[in-house]
Amino acid sequence: MAPTQQAIQLDEPVDQLPEPEPRASGTGSRRLLGKLAPRRISAIYLLGSFIVLFGLLSPDTFLTEVTFTLVFRSGVVTCILALAFLVPLTAGVYDLSIGAVMALGLGIVVYLSLHTDLPILVTALIAIAASALSGAVSGFIVVKLHVDSFIATLGVSQVLAGVLLLMSNNTQLIGDFPEGWGELGRGDFAGVPVVVWMLLLLALVMWYCLEFTAVGRHLLATGGNRDAARLAGVPTERVLFGVFVASGAISGLAGVVFSMQSPVFSSSVGPGYLFPAVAAVFLGASQLSQRPNVWGTLIAYFALAFGIQGLALSASSASVWSQPMFQGVSLIIAVAVASRPVLRKLRASREQAPESVS
Amino acid sequence: MTLQQLSPDGVEGATPVLSIRGLSKTFVSTRALNGVDLDLRAGEIHALVGQNGCGKSTLIKVLAGFHQPDPGVEIRLGGEEVELSSTADAHRAGLRFVHQDLGLVGTLNTVENLMLGRRLTTARGGRIRWDAERSDAERRMKDLGYGFDVARPVAALGAAERTGVAIARALWDWEAARVLVVDEPTASLPREEVAVLFAALQRVRAAGLGVIYVSHRLDEIFAIGDRVTVLRDGVRVGTWDVDAIDQDGLVRSMIGDEKLRPPHDQSVEPTGEVALAVTGLNGTVVEDVDLRVRRGEVVGIAGLTGSGREELLPLIFGVASRTGEVELDGRPVPANPRRAMRAGLALVPADRRGEGAILEMPVRENFGLTDLRRFATRFGFLSRARETKEVTEWIRRLDVRPPLPEALFGALSGGNQQKVVLAKWLRRQPAVLLLDEPSQGVDVGAKAVIHALARQVAADGACVVIASSDDNELCDTCDRVLVMRDGRIVAEVTGSRLTTAELSRLQLGLGATV
Repeated sequence: MAPTQQAIQLDEPVDQLPEPEPRASGTGSRRLLGKLAPRRISAIYLLGSFIVLFGLLSPDTFLTEVTFTLVFRSGVVTCILALAFLVPLTAGVYDLSIGAVMALGLGIVVYLSLHTDLPILVTALIAIAASALSGAVSGFIVVKLHVDSFIATLGVSQVLAGVLLLMSNNTQLIGDFPEGWGELGRGDFAGVPVVVWMLLLLALVMWYCLEFTAVGRHLLATGGNRDAARLAGVPTERVLFGVFVASGAISGLAGVVFSMQSPVFSSSVGPGYLFPAVAAVFLGASQLSQRPNVWGTLIAYFALAFGIQGLALSASSASVWSQPMFQGVSLIIAVAVASRPVLRKLRASREQAPESVS
Repeated sequence: MTLQQLSPDGVEGATPVLSIRGLSKTFVSTRALNGVDLDLRAGEIHALVGQNGCGKSTLIKVLAGFHQPDPGVEIRLGGEEVELSSTADAHRAGLRFVHQDLGLVGTLNTVENLMLGRRLTTARGGRIRWDAERSDAERRMKDLGYGFDVARPVAALGAAERTGVAIARALWDWEAARVLVVDEPTASLPREEVAVLFAALQRVRAAGLGVIYVSHRLDEIFAIGDRVTVLRDGVRVGTWDVDAIDQDGLVRSMIGDEKLRPPHDQSVEPTGEVALAVTGLNGTVVEDVDLRVRRGEVVGIAGLTGSGREELLPLIFGVASRTGEVELDGRPVPANPRRAMRAGLALVPADRRGEGAILEMPVRENFGLTDLRRFATRFGFLSRARETKEVTEWIRRLDVRPPLPEALFGALSGGNQQKVVLAKWLRRQPAVLLLDEPSQGVDVGAKAVIHALARQVAADGACVVIASSDDNELCDTCDRVLVMRDGRIVAEVTGSRLTTAELSRLQLGLGATV
């Protein structure tokens, strides 16, 4: 063992060490500083600056409880969808059918309320189960038929769109829900909208599963390098199938929550939710642990939502066109800025790979 | 311009087409080439041979303008002195290369592959003249002796045909090309396709180019070569007409007068039971392989690239589909990595970065992946404390630098990466440890640690199998070594016969000379 060689070896990796991981549970001032680094929580700074900026621009309308409640309340469905997208993304696959599956969930709840006497909770469960089934179909196509997830879920979402048109006869359906159902959508609990509590509960469960259980680790490993994960004993096929089922079920839940807020189903519901949800996940992936994560997703979504709301309030003519433009621009900027250090890190480690000599 | 038109001046000229004098190349600590001279005549196929690490690759990389030689060298092309300080220089000087991986785009067809990287003469509006390109490609392939459909994707062609496409592309501008260097073209070629490739190379020779042919397969050198140069440890041993030397002489000059290996200091006869039994194993190349490994034994697998050596261990672990039986202690091991792992097998794959671990995960998470259950507390909660404790213990034991559980795996050096990969398997205390190229891209210090570990694991009662292209590694670490050739195990070497010289002979297919 040549000591010099060891010394040379030591230098390089130390330089490239990442800062302490922010999701580390340990304490200490260095960890805390790392947690507050703008690069890792840029969305929170963004959120703060929006609130200050629009608070100054339109203090009477923006800084009101109404605005805050509105933004949170109306963001719940998109956030749930974003979490649905997050699960497969963690495992390295895309589920582009989340919007269509949400519409399926909504459609089923509305349809059953009109054509059957089933209790609303039962119809909600049926809707979620059907959505999970749709996810299972995507999973089957990806795992067993070896179709790329991007294409598979794109296809599935078109098929679902067809199913929904068939079901609704291309008309607008208005669900016949009991009074209490709409109350859930509108009501508050402890000063916070009930639907926001639901979102938080879902986020907590997902955070726990993804960050602290073997299942979550298996997802991350599969997403990081499917071959290596498989060789380390991770049941990658089961993982991939499972993430689509989970994503389907969560999308269905989004549809159910949607029905609480508005009982109207039309075939145009759904696709429009895909982009904001996907944007929140990718923007969120640049936050905190710098891989797709639950809290980063939610923070990112609300940062964008407050920006859009502020724009809408401070310039009344901006309300319609500003939303997609704002989402598009901020997604690109945020991801471009955030991905640079990650790329550099990987490039550095790749260059370090010793040249093979034969 | 066709080959036939160029052929007349392919007579042996007085000036060699390529002449190298005093080529040395020193890397930081090692001298890869030391004063090598080489003359290449126009219209000859000049074989370049030597063991792994003899300097062949370095020499080719110098010619390609990829490495800068030490000062004092003189390289002449057609009598004119040239400086090869970049790949563009090399190309300008008329040097053309077909590398082992060919560099073709599999989804494109021959016509399109031949168009890559060259300025096209297009019709108006930038339109590609497909008809002209196509008939041109057809003619070029025909000149090399091929008659396949140039509109088929390259991935659908045979291996020899693909090599032909790579040659045609390298020699796109025949007029400017003087030297063609072909690096290990037959390593992945089935025997029957070799003849097709040879026919193509003979046509290149007939066109008056000098061909440098690098290969491990000595019988080929006698089939196609005109002259042969042997390198050993960065020095040219000699150059011969192939008629003037036989295989034994060639091998002797390649391996030198190596002494017999000193008796193995740990040569305790493994007396354990046979634990791992492989019977009639078949894969893509691997054919009907039987293997018995006792507890406490370290068994090596030697073989050239393409011999099945690189396929064997993944097959045993169930990475790819296989036929045949794998048994551990009499119980069948399923052909599935997860179940094989549960049965007590462990595989350290050859492609560490691609298959060994997840680069963007920290060491701790990579380490824990092989068995997360032991960190689990209630409700499936993974205890970070337990995880960190165990990984820290292994980091200390294997001296992983930097000793930080949260370091990203991809940021570690090769040797330290390999230690982490080993640790993640050793923590399961496998009954069978399969090591595929365990010290590839690993520094000397880590190599020693890895070899010591392999011996230790065996001494503790496991079966260890090492597949390696590094004969020294096999001789130093293994109790016995099985040699593979053409997918089969053709020899077994133990005891004092276990030398790198013997392994080289057997891998090259020369039979044992005692």
